[in-house]
Amino acid sequence: MYIVRRLIYMAFLMLGVLALTFVITRAIPSSPVELMLGAKPTAEQIEQARQSLGLDQPLIVQFGVFLGNLFQGDLGVSLRTGQPVLGDVSQRFAATAELVFVALLLAASVGIPGGVLAATRRGKLDAILVRTAAVLSVAVPIFFLGIVLQMLLHGGLGWFPLQGRLDVNTLIDAPFETRTGFYLIDTLIAGNLTAWQSALSHIALPALTLAIATSALLFRVTRSLMLDVLSAEHLRTFEAYGVPKSRIHYRYALRATLIPLLTIVGLTAGYLLGGSVIVEYVFDWPGIGGYMVEAVIANDLPAVMGGTLLLAFTYLTINLLIDLLYYAADPRLRA
Amino acid sequence: MCIGASRARAGQALVRIGLICAIFAWGALFVGPDKARAEPTQLTYALYDDIKDWDPAVAFSLEVAVLANVYETLVRYDPEVEGQVVPALAESWSVSEDGLTWRFKLRDGVQFHDGSALTAQTVKKSLERTIELNRGASYIWSGVEAIDAPSDLVLTIRTRVPEPVDLIASAQYGAYIVSSDAADNETAWFSEGRAVGTGPYQLIRWDRNQQIVLERHTDYWGGTVDSDVDRVIYRIVREAATQAQMIRTGAADVITLTSVAALRGFERQEDIVVDLVPSWTNAQFLINTGKYPTDNRLFRQALLHAWDYENVATGVYDGAAEVARGIIPKTMWGHDPALKVPDFDLEEAKRLLEASGVPEKDWRLTASFIGTSVEYTNALLLYQLNLAKLGVRLTLKPGPWGKIWDEAKNPRTAPHLQSMTWWPTYPTPADWLVSLFRTEDAAIFNLSHYSNPAFDSLVDQGRALEVTDREGAIALYQQAQQLLIDDAVGIFYADIRSRLIYRRQISGIRPNPAYATIFIDDLVVEP
Repeated sequence: MYIVRRLIYMAFLMLGVLALTFVITRAIPSSPVELMLGAKPTAEQIEQARQSLGLDQPLIVQFGVFLGNLFQGDLGVSLRTGQPVLGDVSQRFAATAELVFVALLLAASVGIPGGVLAATRRGKLDAILVRTAAVLSVAVPIFFLGIVLQMLLHGGLGWFPLQGRLDVNTLIDAPFETRTGFYLIDTLIAGNLTAWQSALSHIALPALTLAIATSALLFRVTRSLMLDVLSAEHLRTFEAYGVPKSRIHYRYALRATLIPLLTIVGLTAGYLLGGSVIVEYVFDWPGIGGYMVEAVIANDLPAVMGGTLLLAFTYLTINLLIDLLYYAADPRLRA
Repeated sequence: MCIGASRARAGQALVRIGLICAIFAWGALFVGPDKARAEPTQLTYALYDDIKDWDPAVAFSLEVAVLANVYETLVRYDPEVEGQVVPALAESWSVSEDGLTWRFKLRDGVQFHDGSALTAQTVKKSLERTIELNRGASYIWSGVEAIDAPSDLVLTIRTRVPEPVDLIASAQYGAYIVSSDAADNETAWFSEGRAVGTGPYQLIRWDRNQQIVLERHTDYWGGTVDSDVDRVIYRIVREAATQAQMIRTGAADVITLTSVAALRGFERQEDIVVDLVPSWTNAQFLINTGKYPTDNRLFRQALLHAWDYENVATGVYDGAAEVARGIIPKTMWGHDPALKVPDFDLEEAKRLLEASGVPEKDWRLTASFIGTSVEYTNALLLYQLNLAKLGVRLTLKPGPWGKIWDEAKNPRTAPHLQSMTWWPTYPTPADWLVSLFRTEDAAIFNLSHYSNPAFDSLVDQGRALEVTDREGAIALYQQAQQLLIDDAVGIFYADIRSRLIYRRQISGIRPNPAYATIFIDDLVVEP
């Protein structure tokens, strides 16, 4: 019952988001028509385009048409790229999802143990160093970090490629079929190790940049959650009984923080899917964030709607999953 | 208890999977460099955005960068050559005495990338497809009455009134010839990333938002690709900083975006060349002749004298512009070096303002411009200061082009000054004169809202003479230009020079203002 209620709620929320976005995109005093037609259209071409976009219809009719097409799985054609929005958006989304996933893994593997360390060894030198590193990593603007890493690891040391998702020559010499849009997975499915290695080395720098910025957040959350949990009486009792500290910290305390921590990781992932646009720009990662920014700037109506739909859906789904996790974990919610 | 235990186990499994994945992810950092292998001669070109329209009948944006190497036109424009129009797919051409019928003799033995041969029927089909689609730049052919193919290698084009079909056929948009099979398709077929031309390079692959790859067309005009470049990679790179980094490390050979700071760095680097070449793009502010107080001619003339031409060209544009003389750029035929143009003279401006009779309380103006342009912004800030010295208050209204254009078209919402960058769709000075200043019922690009029957008639007569009496046309265009300046319909301030930034081992680049591209076929790359 709870789930059904949540799903209905989510559907209404989505409709609200779409209606709001629709009205806003149409209300801005800027005509999207020019976008379709290139630099110097004629009056006749402009009128034709207005009609084919349905801009001569009342707003409510336009929205009805949009919803009707949506239920048939048709998101329209992007005015800017000239490609179907559905294809554009799913391709771009996969690229961002891959980047965010790898970045979160990197971030979590540093941020969470770091947080535990900082909480359990408060006041010690190592904890202070870790905290300082965390503060520094949030203090550095992400575009600057990205460029510095480019200069250092590409320009200086030549370890990693500068930008893009794959080496072009690898693509030509060892092409593979894209199925999931995750190159790391697609190349493995194709058994194409050269391309896999190229994909891995290309994702390294953008993922690292995103990870450094995100790890500080995970670090802080873990630390404060751990501090809360560590003051709990049962853990103090364990300590009194002489249970080894590492066992208390990682086995009992960290586990108690797992669900709120997962919430944060989930929400961060949801946020990064739309919000990693700066990293996408610096490294030319063809992701959804950049797509949305370009669509909004150009007032590319179908693309804005399609992108909003996907991002809202993803975010709400992640939220739902987290709530369900709580629901499963906390019997009080079920009462 | 039981549930708790299974949850704990699930939790442990999750943590383990997470750990394994994390190790994997960190592994990425130790994979090491992408191995560079011995490759055929290859050129990497950093393009600032992806291709939108692959259909050459529709393309009207940055596509020329790629398409001009894949497709060809009947003739090509070259300002360096006597007569300016040079053979391409057509070997020779002539026009009937009445200036209405053009006859093109096609090159024999030309093959499309799909193996089919170039014939007059194919050219006819291709051009007719462009005209019927009526999109992009197709209107350059609007004067065409009929296209015929009397024999395999002879094409005739008949127009309703005399039109410079040789110039039109050399356009960088809307004049490309596609193969007969390809021309059977809708735009959507091309949009998947397909191109079938006759050019020296053929499209091998397109990875959206990532790159476009061309390879040498081995059967080009019977195997005569001059360049030693085998493969061209257009890499989509939207950040100027990334492009700069790429050319420094050699990851790119040619870049298209730059910042002033990066330029200073390139000047110190021996292996990078920065060239400034003339373009046909020019920048101006159109003055609204339909709105108070700029509907006053003397008031407008004052505005022309308040613009600091020299400082804008050298300072604001950092040398990437030349002070304009009239609306027709210096490298376009029909340019008039003897044109009388206003100079920067605040005293004269003050005198004209006072003579205009507009009371000082109404000396308030608005200027709309593309807000992301540093050049427009800085030029206007300088202008604002100079106007302030005269007691004129200028309000800046930056915005995206779609918005400011919409407002400028409507006489009620139009600003007093409107930014306008222009270039010709095909090589004719008439493009500026007609599109920007000829009377329009509803404004499209005549954002000065200028309407002067004397000007219209000069331009119309000039256009009619372009074919049969080019010198006569030029004389009329000169009069028309002087009229624009005397009527002060715009501040014509800069002929833009484009920056070419490339690595020194590349030579042979032949910049041509008629085409916003680099013809790869011209290039020689030292290993």
